[in-house]
Amino acid sequence: MKDSLVLLGRVPAHPDSRCWFLAWNPAGTLLASCGGDRRIRIWGTEGDSWICKSVLSEGHQRTVRKVAWSPCGNYLASASFDATTCIWKKNQDDFECVTTLEGHENEVKSVAWAPSGNLLATCSRDKSVWVWEVDEEDEYECVSVLNSHTQDVKHVVWHPSQELLASASYDDTVKLYREEEDDWVCCATLEGHESTVWSLAFDPSGQRLASCSDDRTVRIWRQYLPDNEQGVACSGSDPSWKCICTLSGFHSRTIYDIAWCQLTGALATACGDDAIRVFQEDPNSDPQQPTFSLTAHLHQAHSQDVNCVAWNPKEPGLLASCSDDGEVAFWKYQRPEGL
Amino acid sequence: MASPFSGALQLTDLDDFIGPSQECIKPVKVEKRPGSGVAKIRIEDDGSYFQVNQDGGTRRLEKAKVSLNDCLACSGCITSAETVLITQQSHEELKKVLDANKMAAPSQQRLVVVSVSPQSRASLAARFQLNPTDTARKLTSFFKKIGVHFVFDTAFSRHFSLLESQREFVRRFRGQADCRQALPLLASACPGWICYAEKTHGSFILPHISTARSPQQVMGSLVKDFFAQQQRLTPDKIYHVTVMPCYDKKLEASRPDFFNQEHQTRDVDCVLTTGEVFRLLEEEDVSLPDLEPAPLDSLCSGASAEEPTSHRGGGSGGYLEHVFRHAARELFGIHVAEVTYKPLRNKDFQEVTLEKEGQVLLHFAMAYGFRNIQNLVQRLKRGRCPYHYVEVMACPSGCLNGGGQLQAPDRPSRELLQHVERLYGMVRAEMPEDVPGVQELYTHWLQGTDSECAGRLLHTQYHAVEKANTGLGIRW
Repeated sequence: MKDSLVLLGRVPAHPDSRCWFLAWNPAGTLLASCGGDRRIRIWGTEGDSWICKSVLSEGHQRTVRKVAWSPCGNYLASASFDATTCIWKKNQDDFECVTTLEGHENEVKSVAWAPSGNLLATCSRDKSVWVWEVDEEDEYECVSVLNSHTQDVKHVVWHPSQELLASASYDDTVKLYREEEDDWVCCATLEGHESTVWSLAFDPSGQRLASCSDDRTVRIWRQYLPDNEQGVACSGSDPSWKCICTLSGFHSRTIYDIAWCQLTGALATACGDDAIRVFQEDPNSDPQQPTFSLTAHLHQAHSQDVNCVAWNPKEPGLLASCSDDGEVAFWKYQRPEGL
Repeated sequence: MASPFSGALQLTDLDDFIGPSQECIKPVKVEKRPGSGVAKIRIEDDGSYFQVNQDGGTRRLEKAKVSLNDCLACSGCITSAETVLITQQSHEELKKVLDANKMAAPSQQRLVVVSVSPQSRASLAARFQLNPTDTARKLTSFFKKIGVHFVFDTAFSRHFSLLESQREFVRRFRGQADCRQALPLLASACPGWICYAEKTHGSFILPHISTARSPQQVMGSLVKDFFAQQQRLTPDKIYHVTVMPCYDKKLEASRPDFFNQEHQTRDVDCVLTTGEVFRLLEEEDVSLPDLEPAPLDSLCSGASAEEPTSHRGGGSGGYLEHVFRHAARELFGIHVAEVTYKPLRNKDFQEVTLEKEGQVLLHFAMAYGFRNIQNLVQRLKRGRCPYHYVEVMACPSGCLNGGGQLQAPDRPSRELLQHVERLYGMVRAEMPEDVPGVQELYTHWLQGTDSECAGRLLHTQYHAVEKANTGLGIRW
């Protein structure tokens, strides 16, 4: 394949530390990064280069593991190993910590905002997933504590349009949750991975979910509603999820992150072998049994494990990545000819 | 298999990376043997360990056991791996005691007393399609058949828990000006809540928790102090079993505060869950509905025990209702006929207010389940808790839905719970103030309502558990 992934630039985002995660704001103009140095940095463009516009340093006592922007772009949530989640309010270039969510017993591993903006999910090494609700006065209350996983929960992500929550765990499963009356319940468990599931990404339509794992595979799961044409069995009124594709043999180490571009449908992975890979669904692939091809494989994208990949939500092909080497890199992905 | 303890208890300090030598406070006991030399350890195919001495002799090594007492004292873990051997509390243990009684000389025998909770009784009633009175009588019959001497109802000891809670609230409400931590007052009957509060929030929240003992532990005092005296026995000669709707009550019974140092005996020796009693019935091959009903025992000689009694205010004891109505009367002279609940964010979080001329005089709440406990505690921490009293319970839907209650695989759990609630509510409610036997006991057993005796036998203390810094702290 041609050099379809081109380096645009690198920044030493969290020097002498690891950079754990990246999040683009909904407008695609800012990139938040967080790391082992307990800081969050906000990056923006100035001409052709990326510069650090803000440093959020007084929020956490330990590593910041994930950051997530609210759908409106005015708030940033940060999940930390200090067992708290901070909510930062953006005021031009300044960020102020308006609330600290406590309650998890130990390290918070992930945080995610629901598309409605009213709900937040967090997950932790204490094996639980919490759903929080925010009211008009920016007060957060715990709505549900879900104890479905049997091990450390690594990641939570919301469906792009429904109030459906997905979580990935060290117990090798992916679980899905929805609201039922005044509580949240686990409505599906996706089994198949043979080791820790590190991350998840929904496709633009929300019909498919991609998961990546320590077992070095990516799995694509599809939602089947009750009475579906394909005859996939459902229990009661809950949809069923079936693994419709497994990408194996492409990654030589643990896959730590996966990102599904909402604009182009391209799937990017962050791997412990220091490489970034991009996959695209084949044009005439069967929706029930899709095939994906590797369209870009950048060896040594970083000098150490790649921890995160994030597609810019507004600019097609713009990808950011970060690594244990503390750096953030920006890439331009172009679909190779003939594919 | 999911942990049987309540949600609040399960989430306290679960740790995947415990180094047992660092976190577990149970000292590793090494039996020193004379002679020098290094012993080798051989592991057999069946997993047992044998120590091989230098002279070739072998000795089978004992499996390390962690008792519930050790478990409670430790801040390192709580039954997350299901490997804690609960050696001292099971229906097997009760059977052992009953069998030992059969073989022992009269002077060596122990008087066996079983105290049944109204919630367990309601669960059994639902399972066997009996009414509460028949269930109580037939259970009495069953226990006596297997060698138990007396069977009591913890609804009786609950009178004391409620009265003490009521008095404590009024005292603290009146003393608000002098003590910032007087209110809110938080109910103390649920051990899942207490363990969570002690381990997670410690010295901040403990001053707010009512010191009144739970009905189980008041019954412990009644049986091992009052009843023992009546029977002219020392407390250690009584084996006291309670039947409870959850497993957390086993931990409560194991607390050092409920251990009688003088006689080296626990106030409650063994807690059986409703499920364990059901298993006992099966193992004894007894069909509860087919038993002849026996008369009910009573701790007060005067009271006629024709039928069991209960309290109003829900299946978790009725703390909110009793404290509310008593406070309304004592503090404001208002008689509240019916308590109206207003559900808040979910059905396990409801509030009650007493208003007069637009002013809120009393603002109470019930908070059941971990998520509501979380919100309550966080609000308290921020100084934004508007309540004077909160009935806190660890289990969603309260004690009738405890982890030790009977399940019915062929029935939707919501429907079963509603059935159990109906059966629970069928039992005639009494006001603790109106029970003559209770007043007599305050006078003759406790020497007064605010006496030193009452303080010692009807109240308890709490202890913040300091979190040990992880010895294996990998600083990410």
